[in-house]
Amino acid sequence: MEYFISLAVLLGIYITLSSSFNLIIGYGGLVSIAHPIFFALGAYTTGLMAIHFQTNPALAVLAGGGVAFVSSAMLSLPSLRISGDYLLITSIGFQLGLLEVIKHVSFTGGASGLGNIPNVVEGSSRSAVFAIISCLIAAVVVWMIRWLLRGPYGRVIAAMRDDELAFSALGRNAMMIKLTLFAIGSGFAGIAGGIYAYYFQYISPDQFEILQSAMLLTMVVVGGMGSQWGPVVGAVLLLLLPQAIGFLNLPSSVMAPLQGVIFTTLVLAFLFWRPQGLIGSNQRQSEGGA
Amino acid sequence: MIDLSILLQIVWTGLAASSYAILFAVAFALVVKVVKVWNFAQAGVMALSFYVMYAAHNKFAIPLLASVGIGLAATISANIFMDRYGLQTLRNRNSPSLTFFIFTLVVSEFLAYLLAMIFGTEPVALKPSIMSGVNIVYGVVISNWDIEAVCVTIGLLLVLYLFMYKTRDGQFMAAVADNPELSRFYGINVTRAYVITFVIAGVLVTAGMYLFGTKASIIPNTPLQMMLFAVIATLLGGMGRIFAAALAAITLSLIQGLSIFVIPSEWQGLILYVFLFITILFFPQGVSLQKFKQLMAPLTINKPLHKKGI
Repeated sequence: MEYFISLAVLLGIYITLSSSFNLIIGYGGLVSIAHPIFFALGAYTTGLMAIHFQTNPALAVLAGGGVAFVSSAMLSLPSLRISGDYLLITSIGFQLGLLEVIKHVSFTGGASGLGNIPNVVEGSSRSAVFAIISCLIAAVVVWMIRWLLRGPYGRVIAAMRDDELAFSALGRNAMMIKLTLFAIGSGFAGIAGGIYAYYFQYISPDQFEILQSAMLLTMVVVGGMGSQWGPVVGAVLLLLLPQAIGFLNLPSSVMAPLQGVIFTTLVLAFLFWRPQGLIGSNQRQSEGGA
Repeated sequence: MIDLSILLQIVWTGLAASSYAILFAVAFALVVKVVKVWNFAQAGVMALSFYVMYAAHNKFAIPLLASVGIGLAATISANIFMDRYGLQTLRNRNSPSLTFFIFTLVVSEFLAYLLAMIFGTEPVALKPSIMSGVNIVYGVVISNWDIEAVCVTIGLLLVLYLFMYKTRDGQFMAAVADNPELSRFYGINVTRAYVITFVIAGVLVTAGMYLFGTKASIIPNTPLQMMLFAVIATLLGGMGRIFAAALAAITLSLIQGLSIFVIPSEWQGLILYVFLFITILFFPQGVSLQKFKQLMAPLTINKPLHKKGI
């Protein structure tokens, strides 16, 4: 039972991550695969605040989201000023560079990771409490994204995505909208990072490497980029899949690359044969592909 | 006071070590110029090239030169396969640039994971020993590997220069890079230009991985970090200027080497990321004299005012 409850915690975290990543890549059309670094920023901020300042858990998680929000805005501003294409390169550089810094700085625990994050929920129902919180946050994030996209701002985003040139010609500031979407999506990832840090009580730089990027990209592409429920379906599917492989009892040296091969094969297969994903947006379906 | 021989040694080592980085940067810049794709799949292809050579030489005991030939064939095949069945399909569909990005990135990651599954994640080198003989010239240690690396790189760049500017195919590639639609209209075979581009990129990547693999050990993920170097060099050199990318790669490599005087060695890797942000912020179109003048203009205007004490 504990196993399934732990899975539910991860499910909530990954739904938050994939939905927020979809806001950036699917709705904003922003090319970045560095979402895990904002997840890491949230996790490290929360973990450090909890260890050194014994901050209230809710505040520490929100601070994690805040740090991710601000740093993503600072990262995207210079890149988007030039062209959206530069964001991918800057974001990969930021991800690899920041992880390099985390590995070499002592207060983050270095390459061996940050442990001893205080346990905020005692007792046998710890995992169940975290599962409820994590799934609730995921539901709120999905609802907030839905609310954002269905309102007037959503129509602005859709107009920008459909024809950025015409959108800018009407006097609208496309860069500001992209920057906002990037910051909001990254902020949500930071919040997910905070929950992750409190639940596992240990974080290390290698948990936020390129494999995480591949996993999130797979969730969004397989589920359906630019659709509201696609990333949710993608997250559920992609989290259950490794559990199924886990029963094969393969050595860990084979397991991690095998997962990577499966994720990337799925992305390639969907990219060519079903670009709209499992739950594609109506617009993409009518276009017949990516 | 810095000893001159130490300085010369660092400069020489930096130059020799930049050899493979130059080849990767030129391969990347060439594809960006002609095919107009940020080919992140190059990292995966680099790993594939190395591991094919490694398997042929170390697992099947094939002589090194023949193994390089097999690696070259595999690299070129992978490049052409990716272009014909991947990129061409996306071009036919008029896919957005986002799809091209995702495709090349995912191909790269797919190859890295596949190779990690087959060969594991233990670092391996092409030769059992990566030591090579050394010669001392005016107090500077020059290894046989250094000489080989510099000669191979200069030779390949020379051949590429002659090919690009003295052959019809090279001129066709330049035309396709400039305007593929107009080139097609004038009867130039655009597909052929793309294929030749990927063949050249394959040659450069294989040569680079041979040089790197005979000097250091790698794991399947190593090429991704090396690719970032190529990307920054391409950005610094300016889009479409492949030989400027080579110059940028040398400069970056020298700066990395010389930084040992200023910062601790464990932070040397970070210089690359600092350069990435500086490039994106100040030189998104590449470094040029004109851009320097623009950047310096406010300073030169202010200077007399400071002198006047205003």
